[in-house]
Amino acid sequence: MRQRNRWLSGFAVLIYAILFAPIVVLIVFSFNQSRRNFVWQGFTLDWYPKLFANRDLISALGVTLEVAVFAVIGSTILGSLLGLGLARLKFRGSGATETLLLLPMVTPEIIMGISLLIFFAQLFGSNGSLGQISLAHITFCISYVAVVVRARAVGMDPRLEEAARDLGASAFGAFRYVTLPLILPAVFAGAMISFALSFDDLVVTSFNAGVGSTTLPIFIYSSIKFGVTPQINAISTIIVVVVSIALFIAWRLGAFRSEPPLAAVEDAPAT
Amino acid sequence: MASPSTPAEAAAAPVAAPTPTAGRRPLSERIAGLVFVAPGVVWLAIFFLAPLAIILVVSLGSRDAANHITLANPSLDNYLRATRPEYLPAFANSLRYAGITTILSILIGYPIAYWISRYGGSRKILLLILVMLPFWTSYLIRTYAWMIILRDNGVLNSILLTLGVISDPIPILNSDFAVILGMTYGFLPFAILPMYVSIDRLDGHLVEAARDLFASGRGAFLHVTLPLTMPGIVAAALLTFIPAIGDYVTPDLLGGAQTTTIAKIIQVLFTSGRDWPYGSALGFLLMVVTLGGTLLALRTLRREVIG
Amino acid sequence: MTGRPGDPTDALIERELERYLVERRMTRRQLLEAVTALGAAVALAPIVAACTNAGLAPSAAPSTGPSAAPPSIAPSEVAVASATPEPTPVPSPEKELFVYNWDAYIGADTVTKFQDQTGIQVHYDKFPDADTQMTKLRSDGKGGGYDVSYPASTELPSLISDGVVLKLDKSLIPNVSNLRPEWTNPAYDPGNAYSIPNYWWTTGYAWDPAKVPGNQTTWDALFDPASKGHIGMLDDQREVFAVAGFKLGIDPNTTDEAQLDQMLNLLEQQKPLLRKYTDDDIGDMTSGNLWISHAWSGDWYQMIADKPNIKYVIPTTGAVRGNDTLVVLSGAPHPIAAQLWINFNLDPQISAANTNYIGYMGPNAAAEQYIDDAIKGDPRLNPPQAVVDKLVELIFLPPADLDKYTQRWNALRA
Repeated sequence: MRQRNRWLSGFAVLIYAILFAPIVVLIVFSFNQSRRNFVWQGFTLDWYPKLFANRDLISALGVTLEVAVFAVIGSTILGSLLGLGLARLKFRGSGATETLLLLPMVTPEIIMGISLLIFFAQLFGSNGSLGQISLAHITFCISYVAVVVRARAVGMDPRLEEAARDLGASAFGAFRYVTLPLILPAVFAGAMISFALSFDDLVVTSFNAGVGSTTLPIFIYSSIKFGVTPQINAISTIIVVVVSIALFIAWRLGAFRSEPPLAAVEDAPAT
Repeated sequence: MASPSTPAEAAAAPVAAPTPTAGRRPLSERIAGLVFVAPGVVWLAIFFLAPLAIILVVSLGSRDAANHITLANPSLDNYLRATRPEYLPAFANSLRYAGITTILSILIGYPIAYWISRYGGSRKILLLILVMLPFWTSYLIRTYAWMIILRDNGVLNSILLTLGVISDPIPILNSDFAVILGMTYGFLPFAILPMYVSIDRLDGHLVEAARDLFASGRGAFLHVTLPLTMPGIVAAALLTFIPAIGDYVTPDLLGGAQTTTIAKIIQVLFTSGRDWPYGSALGFLLMVVTLGGTLLALRTLRREVIG
Repeated sequence: MTGRPGDPTDALIERELERYLVERRMTRRQLLEAVTALGAAVALAPIVAACTNAGLAPSAAPSTGPSAAPPSIAPSEVAVASATPEPTPVPSPEKELFVYNWDAYIGADTVTKFQDQTGIQVHYDKFPDADTQMTKLRSDGKGGGYDVSYPASTELPSLISDGVVLKLDKSLIPNVSNLRPEWTNPAYDPGNAYSIPNYWWTTGYAWDPAKVPGNQTTWDALFDPASKGHIGMLDDQREVFAVAGFKLGIDPNTTDEAQLDQMLNLLEQQKPLLRKYTDDDIGDMTSGNLWISHAWSGDWYQMIADKPNIKYVIPTTGAVRGNDTLVVLSGAPHPIAAQLWINFNLDPQISAANTNYIGYMGPNAAAEQYIDDAIKGDPRLNPPQAVVDKLVELIFLPPADLDKYTQRWNALRA
């Protein structure tokens, strides 16, 4: 058993290395002298001060984060409820609800983007804004959260909650103290997926952006034509470094030690 | 087991869910159910279905000489035009890329999810966030980084040259390989997360009992762990395959002249082709095929697993 | 010099302000309607209704404005006619300007200088590609909330007929006199009534002489099996078909099915030789993946910053030229500021700074003395008139004709 453990750990290390390989390249090229991040021309630190002077870029990052926060909160709440409801409840139309849930995922992005653009422009006279982008992002993130939450909740033993009810807990209490903790990892996973989706979305966003609501992906894709400057690498580097430091501190403070390692039991008999 | 076709049910089936108590649920609980499901459904109805209905109407229209969309003669012509045989290679590309990406993501992602869940200990959440961390940089910059690694004078070619595996740089970028690598890289976290939450839910005692029963790690894994984590695998497949079918940016950037996907064709129709009705029709056909295929696969899976 | 509103224009500006107010009043009414619609929308029915009647037609076309609604917003007549003077104190509407443009398309200091000189705060949003730009500008049929944008000249006829752009008030743009005579009456917009030409370019190809030897003068090098796997074509259907046209001696604006089939046939033979249809000819050439690539002249100017040995040619057997324009959108919230912006960009030194930054020549005669010799003196970036005269412009095609291209382009790509 130890052997499999070692083999598996080796594999995991390899995959993590591959996951971070482009990130390392990205960071290295944030110190590239060339205005374009394709050909290595020598080392420079110039892009970092330039980045902080670039108001447009900073503002794009701000808009992106704001949208991501709305998208994560909105889609995590709506998606978790939906996923939980579908997993736990039998009701007429649950099949249709399922299909509805898959629909946004199978819709080509350009169709979703343009449909929302027309929807807002023609019915509400809205020319795009941070709010409109956020609504759009919530919409396409809901399904992802729901699918993940549902996968966790679907095999959950309803007798747990029933037992809590039998012991005198209210419906809400049973949900709060039994169900919620059980699905929490899935809610968290769904929120992370939503964040990544929102943070990276270009197609839907560019149709729903308006005056002053340029996001980071729009900013970056717009610069393809004349060269993506290493400023973009620099801002990505800063994000990765800041998040890593925050994670490390949080971990040292014990922020992630919530769940007892169930798997330890599984390991026990294996000698 | 009523309403047979729903995905998660298919997924749930192997778990042999405790007897559904639907009919006997008290009214209060059904109202509670409404509270769960209604907000999301209403949201999607307003911000997804209603806008989509506009495009559905567009797909029945045509364009006048000034390129204005008109519904003067609504017809299904656009749908008939959309079933051109010359689009089949692009559709085949999409299916192939999405299929291989999904399989690779699950084959690679499952062991990682399993490893995090079982050996992660107090670092579990940290390890999960680390899986996502690369995705908090920009997609385009990550993809550019892959280009720097894969291009003719790139990192990978240099390594292969140094090792003597090759004597001249080989074109790795702009190939099927590069597309599949890029897509698998991009979708791997979407596979790892749902499988993790599913594996992590496993009751250790169950596996322990199974191991007593089957007396082998492999038996316990095949007969207990794998079936019990099926919902996670199905969710991972959904979250990988469906978006992968619609991905055209990765094949565009990492692919080459021969890697056009059906989503790219739709994009061309909407953009430089300026034919929204036709683009909408092709888009809807793709949606129907993807959705139908997905539901069918889920149903088959359910039947197979239950036997 | 730089179009600071002088005395003679004061009256005009006042008139423009009045128009602006009327404009704004209309916008507020629309807002009210929108709010009402929002209330009603909850019941979904109105949405479907709104979609199924005429409401849909204007919205949806990618290259359309309102088909039913006339190009109403040209304020000249409409606004003055309906002007019920509302004695609102004018909250100086010229304090802001919303520009929608390509990235890095103007000089590095252009925005700052404009802001310093006029006190107008510029909000500069970028689009990733021209299709997104057009979709956005046409989403409400009057510019998507922006004041100024930079459409390609080929878009102008339909933008004008659909009422998406505003007729320019030349008295606000005195620098228009700086234009070279050959740019004062372009076919796409006679008399520059709605637009001012901005940059112009050629489409040729770039190559790395270390990999592709010889002096290229025709399009043949893009079809040479010796470069197999390292040839790039632009991901642009009209431009790609134009190359086939030049090689076959067919008019690149042809709409003849048989000729188009011939072009497609040639391109299908070329496809196996290609590395890719590229959106990023600059990156692909400088990184060495491509040895030779179909490219825009300004892109080549960017390439040589990273890889100075790359060459560029405008093939003598025929090539495409194009230009883009500056327009004020019909729904512009700040139409006067917008025209001040256009005037500012026609200032000789500003115009030259723009060109020096990006490498595309402009139509500005007065600016030429300030343009770098590396651009002005290079016949590849600033070809002599005799060469320019032989270049072909890709014209705007009506839907039925454009479809012939799109269908073949998709067949080629798939």
